[in-house]
Amino acid sequence: MAEGLNISFLWEAFFIALSGVPITLLVTIVALVIALPTGFILALSRFYRIPLLRQIASVYISFVRGTPIIVQIFIIYSSIPLMLDILFKKYNIGINIYEIHPIWYAFIVFSFNTTAILIEVFRSALQSIDQGQYEAAQSIGLTSVQAYRRIIIPQLLVVAMPNLCTATVNLIKATSLGYAFSLQEITLRTKVAANMNYNYIEAYLAIFIVYLLLCSAVEYGFKVYENRLARYQLRMA
Amino acid sequence: MLEVSDVHKSFGENDVLKGVHIQVDKGDVVVILGPSGSGKTTLLRCINFLEKADRGKLALHDTSLPLNTASKKEIHKVRQSVAFVFQNYNLFHHKTALENVTEGLIIGRKVAKKEAEKIGREALTKVGLSDKYDAFPNQLSGGQQQRVGIARAVALSPDIILFDEPTSALDPELVDEVLGVMKNIAEEGTTMIVVTHEMSFAKDVANKVIFMDGGVVVEEGTAEEIFKKPKKERTRQFLRRVLPEEYIYSI
Repeated sequence: MAEGLNISFLWEAFFIALSGVPITLLVTIVALVIALPTGFILALSRFYRIPLLRQIASVYISFVRGTPIIVQIFIIYSSIPLMLDILFKKYNIGINIYEIHPIWYAFIVFSFNTTAILIEVFRSALQSIDQGQYEAAQSIGLTSVQAYRRIIIPQLLVVAMPNLCTATVNLIKATSLGYAFSLQEITLRTKVAANMNYNYIEAYLAIFIVYLLLCSAVEYGFKVYENRLARYQLRMA
Repeated sequence: MLEVSDVHKSFGENDVLKGVHIQVDKGDVVVILGPSGSGKTTLLRCINFLEKADRGKLALHDTSLPLNTASKKEIHKVRQSVAFVFQNYNLFHHKTALENVTEGLIIGRKVAKKEAEKIGREALTKVGLSDKYDAFPNQLSGGQQQRVGIARAVALSPDIILFDEPTSALDPELVDEVLGVMKNIAEEGTTMIVVTHEMSFAKDVANKVIFMDGGVVVEEGTAEEIFKKPKKERTRQFLRRVLPEEYIYSI
């Protein structure tokens, strides 16, 4: 350790970390694709106080918010195989539960977690939209679905965008916990490479830089999209 | 043409409408007056099903439906022929003036986009905004926004337009431009029900004035009858308070 940073390994580790980006992005995107519509529908159930669905949503949110993701991972990663095992045995399905690719657990854990976050993001955005917008849409003969699709959702997205960006960036960072169930993402790949010669500092630095670059790029993308959506709010000088 | 009867509505303990009946014929300009909390706005909102009445009947042309149990389809049908102008305009913030006007035509009525834009431009021209087609609501003054709101209603060529205190949210010097537009539309023969505190509009434009208080219609008649020879003491009290002094002396 006394000889300082091993620059050549740092360089190598950087590319190893980069090779984990596709998995990280895949998990992020799948989690968002599941969480966005589910979160929106459950947000509506809270907003319109739909019985049962609303209570389920609220218990679900406090469960997710009140526990660390790592604990959620441990619970899902250990309980789902048990349940599947019982199910598979009962119906004689010949799949070995211990050969299920860890990415499936990542999809489950992270969409489960992100949905809860997005419910609250969408609920607060819904509350910010003036009820008059919906009434005006109805008064000109739009159905409720049309009113949501054409009037409410476009305005709601502008309000929700900063929080959606935060949620997405948090999700990207949270996928690093995938190492707990051997998901071959950025953190795990680089750490494994570091094990060989104990070059941990270099590995952590490489991981640090890759996450920073990735998250900055995502933030920039959100910013551009938000500005485009919010064009109508710009006042002409 | 339009008749609502026996309209009841309460919010919790508060009975806002206690059996209101009004009738509007084709070409009528009906102005509803009354102190705050008399149920004028609620009545208007019940007619367009923005508020669900507890009881009551609505007859439009030759169909009649219950105000409290009408189906979505029936409500949709009523809204096809009854347009609404809101107190705080409620323009769609993310759409231009023209898009605000064409939205109901293109999406609600399935009019072709080209045709809808033509109708939309005509409607905006009619309210004096031919230079603001592409402006977003937050680039317009309150008066201009409300005129877009009126154009949005007019473009749908409804059988009747409901105005819910269309000038109450405006700066005093912007009120006249909106009232002027409403007067023009009325003179073209548009049927309308207007809830307002603008007595001059009621006097000049309305052919029927309804005075409401405490959730009931106290008195109705022509503008002349209501302003010059009100029959009920409650009406007289109200008018004394809201009319300019010289008008009272001229009686």
